[in-house]
Amino acid sequence: MWELIAANKRKSLIIFIAMGICLLTLGYCVGMAWLGPDAGFFGVLIAFGVWVVLSLISYFAGDSILLYTSNAQAVTHDIHPQLFNIVEEMKIAASLPVMPRIYIIDDPSPNAFATGRDPQHSSIAVTSGLLSGLNRDELQGVVAHEMSHILNRDISYLTFAGVMLGSIAMISQIFLRGSRFGGCSSRRYRSGGSGCGQAQLIIFIIAIVFAILAPILARIFYFALSRKREYLADASGARLTRYPSGLASALEKIGFSNIKLSSTNNITAPMYIVNPLQADGYSGIFSTHPPIQDRIKILRGMAGGASYLDYSKAFSAVKGGSGGIIPSAALSDSASVPIRDAGVEKEAPKDPKDKTRETIDLLRAVNNYAFLTCACGLKIKFPKNFAQNEFICPRCGRKHEVPSSNNVLAAAVASAIPAKPVTATAYGVSPQVYARKNVGWESFNCSGCGALLQLSPAFIGTSLACHSCGKEIKIR
Amino acid sequence: MDCPVCKKGMVVLELNKVEIDHCVHCRGIWLDSGELQLLLGHKKDETIEAFASAGRVKEKPRKCPMCLKKMDKVLCGHPVAVMIDKCRKNHGLWFDKDELGKIIEEEGAGKSGEISVLLKDIFRESRE
Repeated sequence: MWELIAANKRKSLIIFIAMGICLLTLGYCVGMAWLGPDAGFFGVLIAFGVWVVLSLISYFAGDSILLYTSNAQAVTHDIHPQLFNIVEEMKIAASLPVMPRIYIIDDPSPNAFATGRDPQHSSIAVTSGLLSGLNRDELQGVVAHEMSHILNRDISYLTFAGVMLGSIAMISQIFLRGSRFGGCSSRRYRSGGSGCGQAQLIIFIIAIVFAILAPILARIFYFALSRKREYLADASGARLTRYPSGLASALEKIGFSNIKLSSTNNITAPMYIVNPLQADGYSGIFSTHPPIQDRIKILRGMAGGASYLDYSKAFSAVKGGSGGIIPSAALSDSASVPIRDAGVEKEAPKDPKDKTRETIDLLRAVNNYAFLTCACGLKIKFPKNFAQNEFICPRCGRKHEVPSSNNVLAAAVASAIPAKPVTATAYGVSPQVYARKNVGWESFNCSGCGALLQLSPAFIGTSLACHSCGKEIKIR
Repeated sequence: MDCPVCKKGMVVLELNKVEIDHCVHCRGIWLDSGELQLLLGHKKDETIEAFASAGRVKEKPRKCPMCLKKMDKVLCGHPVAVMIDKCRKNHGLWFDKDELGKIIEEEGAGKSGEISVLLKDIFRESRE
């Protein structure tokens, strides 16, 4: 694995340097055009400065900005145990030092991405559509693919290269827009012969041509490596799960889903496992991802094993050529990786309606909704900003108390009575017992401190401790 | 999600695996596009497209609780036309209190009765 990262780094470095040269040359040309022939190096300095500043910002805050703009919400083990379990499994398989943080994006379109500056600070985000549409093996494939991006340091590369691309685009935009008003024409009113000399004009034209070409060149470099890294992440993903078909069928479901991801844009699109903005089947020098059909064919073509060698063989069979996707160091690793059997789903495949309900309820739980099931069968879900303390079931007319910690606090303030201090002895006297009504999400208030407690459908224990005061509550 | 009329948080009611959003203040309901899909299946697009535009009306336009854009007034209902609000981006349908009442009584939200059957069941006790 280490050779793989090293080989990856070497190749990345070459493209990275090429992009850097693009950036600095652009700075040089712009500096000469705007500030005179002697100021070329000053332009280089400014271009470099822009890149350093933007890089620092994205290094320390890039992942939070990205997750924020994608509307991703952090989840804990209690909320989605299966996803947590899969990520943990893949974390161990990949021997990642720290468990990545897990996020869910509320979007019916299935997709996923990973972000973070290094394996110590990484996050994996999946959409709710991915959770409701994929089975465990497929989900594992997707998580393994994202884990490989973290492991192969693709994220930090993509971040820095992306920032460089952004800096180049920014400088060239400023220059091209600025030239409309500045440049030669503004010097017309200046005294002396330094106005629009022949040499200055030539420099100016070169700068304009380069300002147009540089972003295009940089983009081609950026995308070329991005594509290569997708194949590599597929290969590592297959190796981690030892089940290439899982990832293949997940890619099939993601690629051929007709629901479009709504919370994406040109910047975040390349981060996803399948580019949400790329047209089906199209792949040229401006694509961030290789064609999805080829990725699926290669994964399906991996016969006999899940090692890099098997992926490389399948790659040559599909794409022809010698398959330069996997660094040769990794191919010499002769240890065979047998393909495991498909995982057995414990439960019968669920009704798609149930799965959709489950995922939406999960997102509601993340957003602090309180759940209540009326005896008549109507499930009632209260948002955090629900203002009333009581609710009358419209179906059967029963009166319910709205379970919410906010209400308890509001009531205590209104009556100006200080909340009773909760002592450990008070717990022993009357232990709270909560009887489950159904297998869905349920909420109730802790009798000790009034905190809102939620039970997920996956909860199987017989007791729990209040997260706020620690009181033990028995669940029947 | 907040009520397009009162701007207060709406309670979610789920019955037979289909959800509706209900405002306890104005007693209006919001039917989300995804829920309509669950309820009507492949008939969803057909049913919604069959709603005729109500043209220019006096009733104040409401804003879609999802995209916050103005919604269109459309006529739905088979025997008697009931005017409801429909998001232009097809995020869902909004029924005011009396519109909801009419839909339940006339049993006709579009040619398929699924919507009114569901609403009738959920609001069994709250009908006057």
